[in-house]
Amino acid sequence: MAARRVRIHTDMTPLVDIAFLLLIFFMSTTQFKPPEAVAVDLPASTSEIHVPETGTIILTITRAGEIFLSTERVLDAQAVLPSDLMNAIVTWRGMYPDAVVIVKGDRDAPFGIMADVMDTLAEAKTLRFNLMTDLKERRPGAGARDE
Amino acid sequence: MADTQPAQPDRPIMEDEHALIRPKRRAGSRVDLTPLVDVAFLLLIFFMVTTVFRRPLAMEVNMPEPGATVEVPASNVMTVLVDRDEDMFYRQGDGALRPVRWEELDDLFVAGQEANPDLIILVKIHREARYESMVEMMDTLEEAHMNRFSLVPMRAEDARLMEEGP
Repeated sequence: MAARRVRIHTDMTPLVDIAFLLLIFFMSTTQFKPPEAVAVDLPASTSEIHVPETGTIILTITRAGEIFLSTERVLDAQAVLPSDLMNAIVTWRGMYPDAVVIVKGDRDAPFGIMADVMDTLAEAKTLRFNLMTDLKERRPGAGARDE
Repeated sequence: MADTQPAQPDRPIMEDEHALIRPKRRAGSRVDLTPLVDVAFLLLIFFMVTTVFRRPLAMEVNMPEPGATVEVPASNVMTVLVDRDEDMFYRQGDGALRPVRWEELDDLFVAGQEANPDLIILVKIHREARYESMVEMMDTLEEAHMNRFSLVPMRAEDARLMEEGP
């Protein structure tokens, strides 16, 4: 047995080469999941517009209908009452005039709250905003008409 | 400084002496690579597991100016209503409510647009329905290339009509 053990010499260099190649690939492509102020389950849509990584004001609406305002840095997340939302949006838009407003609503949030938030945004002269979604596969047949 | 000089061989160097020495030296410098491979794979697995290839996506919304009103003839309007339990109904103009399923919605919009290119969709969603139904509705409208639609607050009357059923 001892004699057999000594004889086996595998050259590990190619294995190490491949391992490091993959390691470097994954290290360089890795993007850690962006931190979240509050965890929400996003609704799915077929939209494929990417959210900008910086310069955003994020309005998070949880399943229970609580509203949080933050930027992409998240540490500055602030809970807002629906009655204060108007003032808060105006203040934050003043602090970050070039920021894109992103509404990040939980898929199970009541529509009424979302409608109020969107109306408030429109009243605060933020007529363009983004609704953050997850990617949904296109239904078969739906794309056929596009051709 | 004679002792810092390399020792001179006392015999002449044979021409292929290096060929004799080299294999011996190489055999001595064998490194066990196993721990290196262990660490490399450990890191590899860590990065593979934590990698997120997807970035968050978004739907763009352009709201009309608050207070802006547009007069539209009733014949150009199709109203789609979503009730509390996310059952759906639609109404052509001032017609009667008819139930419609989510899967049929796409065809309904396409057929409606073919019949009347000026068709405008009014979407009324119950306040207690889930936000997902709005996103789903907007997505279906987008897929049917219906760019003119309006989210309208649901009146008590609409809610009552839906509860009574068509």
